[in-house]
This record gives sequence, C-alpha cells and structure tokens, in this order.
Amino acid sequence: MEPALETIGLFKRFGGLLATNDVSLSVERGEIRGLIGPNGAGKTTLVNLVTGVHAPDAGEVKLGGQSLRGRGMHEIARLGLVRSFQVTRLFGNMTVRENLMTSFLARRDKGESDGAGQTEGMIALTKLGPLADTQAKKLSGGQRALLQMACGFVVPANCYVLDEPFAGINPVIKDAIIDMILDVNRRHRATFLVVSHEMAIIRRLCQQVTVMMEGRVAAQGTLDEVARLPEVIAGYLGKALE
Amino acid sequence: MSASFAFPPSFRRSVIAIVATVVVFAFVPLMAGSFALHVLTISFYFVILASSWNLLAGYTGQFSLAHHAFAAIGAYTSGLLGYHYGIPAWIGIPAGVVMAGLFGLILGRLVLRMRAIYLAIATWAFAETVHIYLTADYQFTRGELGLSVKPLYGNVNPLPYYFTFLALAALVLIGLRALIDSPLGYFMRAIKDDELRAKSLGIDTTRVKIAVFSISSAIAGLAGAFYGHFIVLLSPQMIDFSEMAKIVIMVVIGGFGTFLGPVIGAAPVQMVMTYLQKYGEWNLAIFALVVIVLMRFSMEGLASLFAPVWRRIWTRHAI
Repeated sequence: MEPALETIGLFKRFGGLLATNDVSLSVERGEIRGLIGPNGAGKTTLVNLVTGVHAPDAGEVKLGGQSLRGRGMHEIARLGLVRSFQVTRLFGNMTVRENLMTSFLARRDKGESDGAGQTEGMIALTKLGPLADTQAKKLSGGQRALLQMACGFVVPANCYVLDEPFAGINPVIKDAIIDMILDVNRRHRATFLVVSHEMAIIRRLCQQVTVMMEGRVAAQGTLDEVARLPEVIAGYLGKALE
Repeated sequence: MSASFAFPPSFRRSVIAIVATVVVFAFVPLMAGSFALHVLTISFYFVILASSWNLLAGYTGQFSLAHHAFAAIGAYTSGLLGYHYGIPAWIGIPAGVVMAGLFGLILGRLVLRMRAIYLAIATWAFAETVHIYLTADYQFTRGELGLSVKPLYGNVNPLPYYFTFLALAALVLIGLRALIDSPLGYFMRAIKDDELRAKSLGIDTTRVKIAVFSISSAIAGLAGAFYGHFIVLLSPQMIDFSEMAKIVIMVVIGGFGTFLGPVIGAAPVQMVMTYLQKYGEWNLAIFALVVIVLMRFSMEGLASLFAPVWRRIWTRHAI
C-alpha cells in the first residue's frame, strides 16, 4: 500500500544554506510520526516543502501516492493535507467562531456538511465557549494554539503536519491538544507528522520518530532506539533520556 | 447556496436596518428643497462607491486607488454608447457595469501579487492612464469639452433621481451585506488578516482576490453609469485624484472595514464638501483639517460610536 505521506530526496537551498539535504521519509496511513532534531536542523523547512509554502529545488512530495509537484498551498490543503504553524497563525480580527467557520468553509466539501454544528462542536470540545465571540487576537498564547489546532480538525483531513504544537503552552491545553490528535487519529485513521521538542509527548504519541540534523535524516526508529545513538545525544538531546 | 451554509443573524438585521433607513429617507423630499435633494442624491452615489471600495480595501485588504476610474468607465461606456450610437440607457448601463467589471478583472489579475503601497501605486497609475485617455482622445470622448449624456428621465426634476439613487444604494448595500456574510466574505476577511494562513486552510486566495476586485469594480461601474445619466455632462474630472481621496476620506471617517462606515461617512463628507466649495481652493485644505480633527478623536470612525447602540437594539428585541 502507498504510504500516506512520502518525501523523496528533497533538497532546498536558501543562499549558502542547504536547509534540507536529500530528505526522504515515508509515513504510513494512520501513523503518528515524530520529527525531532536541534534548532536549524531543517524541520520547519521540511514542513514548508511538504505543504507547498516553498517548492523544493529537487525531489518530490507524495500524498497518498499522488505527487504534489506544482500544486499550490490551497490545492494541497484541499487534497487533505493540513498544517499548523510554529508561530500560531489565526485570523486575529475574526472571532473564535468565525475562525472555525472559515476553516470549515475552506474545506467543507471534503467532509461533513453542517458548518454551524461542526463549529459549535469544536467550541464545546475545546471549552472555548465563553470566548466564542472574542477576536482571536485577544486570546492567550495557549488558547491561540488550541484554536489553531481546532481549526485543523473542524473538517477531518487525511494527513496533518504539526509544527511544534506544544511549544510554550500549559499542561492542560497540551493534554487537550494530545486528546484531539489521538481522537482524529483513531476515528479517521488520520496520519500525523509532529515536530516537537517535548520528548515525553513524543513518547506518548509516536511509535516511530525521525531525527533530522543539519538538513539530513540522521536516524529513524523508536524514540528509545534513536535516543541511545551517540550522535543524537551529542547533537540534540545533550544527555540520554531517562 | 449549499445546505452547509446559512446566513448569520447579522444579515437579516442589516436588511431590516437598510429598509428602515430607506423608509425614513423616502419622507425627506417632503421637507427638503431641490438643492438639498441634489446633494443627497450625490451622497447616495458616494455611499455606493465608498461601500464597494470598502469591500475591496476594508474587507479584503487591497488598497486600490482606481475606484473612481471604474465609476468613470461605467459612466463613459453608457455615455459614449448613447452619444455615438444612440443606444438607450437601459442597455448602456448594463454595458457600463460589464465594462467596469472586465477592467476590474484585468487590473485585479495584474496587481495580484502586489502588497499595500505597490498595489496603491499601480492602481493609481491605471486611473491616471484612463484619465489621460479620456482627455487625449477628445474626438471620441469629447475630452475636456465634456460628453453630454441623455438624462435618465425626461425632465430636470430632482425627485425621480433622488428615489432612483436611494433605491440603488439600498439594493447595492443589501447585495454587499449578503456577499460579506457568505463564504466569500469569510474568505475575504481571512485574506486581509493572514493570506498565508488562508492558503494553508485551502482557500484559493488568487480567485477570491480577483473576484472581489471585479465585483467591486462592477459596482463602481454601476454607480458611475447611473451618475452619468443624472449629471448629464461627463468630463475627465471624474478621475481627478481628489475624487478618489474623497472616497477614502468617507470610508476612513465612517469606519474603515466596517459595513456601516461608508454608509454613514459618505453623506456628511459630501455635504461638508459641498458647503466648503464656496471657499474655492481652500476647500481641500479646510477639509484636510476637518479630517485630522475627526481622526484625532475617533480613529475607528463614526461606526464605532454606533456599534454599542446597534448591539443594544438587537439584544433587547432579539430577532
């Protein structure tokens, strides 16, 4: 069976910096893959290549066996590949409800048809009810991260690429986001590629992790396997995981 | 519209408010003289221009400076068809709408990737080009001599024109409100806030921006075409930059990016400007001062003063 998400020999150069250097990885349908590595390893560049923000200099990305070459960001999203941004991006002048509604309308023919119902369901799930008519720019950092995630789930996608969804938010909201990920994964067999530095969460979510260092795939395996590798300890973890 | 989308309550409320306002203004001719009616008629014309420009600039974030040119394209299309070929207004006006919409489509396509100031400059250059063409090709357009256009109604009685523009403004506003409350409206506001995120959600931002550009241009063309048959003498003055400045001023004073803003901004600005005309060259200088003073005290425009009142009305009588 075709992998849900596959990259084949991706190269991307920014001036003198080779941000991704021959990155190939493949994620099976229904898998939650962790993507770890030091800052500047090329993780976000990979996310941007996969989701069409940048075009690769060489190589290609396949979603469910279908090449994404030459496709724009919005086309990729409509094919069912949804991302979150490391620095939370929301429509700041729109309310919580409007943000969810916009996300629903943008991909609606991919899923269920009841926009208002879906939106209200997501508001209930995230417990953002009292803030439903508040502009997104007035939310706290954690609430913004939660809302960004909820926008991705309001219409279930085949595949999610999440760029540091747990950075800088409190444990309760972290748990809420983890629950949402597991729920969509279980109910829709959605595939995930999750960039994170939170090893405890990665261990909870991911059977397999891919380690990137200096633009390359440095290792792949279970977290415990890769965490034992001397180059991963030296270049990223600093010390062995407990 | 598919079953997956229903208009929010704001749509129905706005339609009720628009209809109520029209009813109030229907009684104005009982009290007002013909000069006042003339000024109000022109105000309604500017309500349409300011609101449709606000759709483009205020809601979608495309700060075009060519809106007055699209009004002129609408006016001249109908005017020229009538002058040279004897084509009646009921064909000329739709032709003007289509022509303005087409030019809007082309210009919208050209400025697609431009941001803020570059888009403003490019659209302004387009407007100047139209201005120069209308002046230079005087054998066809009559240039500064002026193009005489047949009046919409046989006589010079201002009353039918007053009601025509009142109805036209109301219809355009209801249409704009429907557009803003539709999925396209959500996408427009999304693009203004964060275009990259809009794309990442699956919104075809290119198509949305071009669609809004041509819709708002077509509406300007509609207003312009009717305007031509009202003032009956067109000149390239219609694309003087001060006309565009007036539209911007109306929207900013009323409330940029709000639905109510251009509606309540247009008439006061038009009246004050008409009043200041007797000071000749000082007109704009005095007006600039008025603008600065107003903006000093109400950055979000007059609409921000009405917002709490609006909320109170509808929470008390929930509809």
